[in-house]
Amino acid sequence: MIEAFTDVVPSFFGTLNRGPMTLTIFLHTVIILPMFFLYYSEKKKQKQGDHED
Amino acid sequence: MEEQKISVWGSVRFWRNTAVWVTGFAVLLLIWLSLDTIPQISAGTIEDLENGVTKRVPSAAVINYEIGYELDNKRKTEIPIIGGKQMFFGRNDYSEEEATELVSHGKMTVQSKNCMNCHTLLGNGAYYAPDLTKSWLDPAWSETGPYRPMTGKATTEEAMAEFLQHPNKYPTHARMMPDLGITPDEAIAVVAFLKHMSSIDTNGFPRNFNKIKGAVNAK
Repeated sequence: MIEAFTDVVPSFFGTLNRGPMTLTIFLHTVIILPMFFLYYSEKKKQKQGDHED
Repeated sequence: MEEQKISVWGSVRFWRNTAVWVTGFAVLLLIWLSLDTIPQISAGTIEDLENGVTKRVPSAAVINYEIGYELDNKRKTEIPIIGGKQMFFGRNDYSEEEATELVSHGKMTVQSKNCMNCHTLLGNGAYYAPDLTKSWLDPAWSETGPYRPMTGKATTEEAMAEFLQHPNKYPTHARMMPDLGITPDEAIAVVAFLKHMSSIDTNGFPRNFNKIKGAVNAK
């Protein structure tokens, strides 16, 4: 599952490339997870009667 | 009591926050990737070469060394292998400064003669003429290849320099290279530039460089 580190110069992205977490999956996770927070916080605000400005 | 109407998907505020987050993260990511690139493309030093430290871009003093091109089984691409000392125009003791000056002169010549108008260098240029990224390693210029005997020279570097000065005398390709008026000094510098370029680890680029024995897509 974890492959050998083959990059010439070590970097975070080289490390990321070793395992099952690819750059694409990493970026989608990092970008989309906070969107759940944005969604639910907006829902909460609306329930409390705080609508659009 | 009147029921509140909840619509997150229709909320401008939600989409605005999302846009701010995604754009902000993308900006930070691009800055991070740019900073991450710097150590990848920084050239090594002559000490790295002496101590066998591998760099993507070796020092220009790599012209003092033999350069091989071998398939790396882990990476599944060919990578340049810097071997023992090798004579380059009768010398193998170029200092870092001398080598850098020579390679820079070669680079300036390549730019002033607009080689990229026909050739490709490190992915930039045209495909009208052969890709020069790994041209130093082309066996056609080796002892057994057809080009070196054609020029009547004893070494690869001398044969390439001779060709560069009088390309219209040597039919290497169906589309012959025109005479660009390259002087002997410029020819030596261009060959140094080509040798240095062939030592750069390009992750196996160009993939269609099929003239080397053992290459992945060798014919």
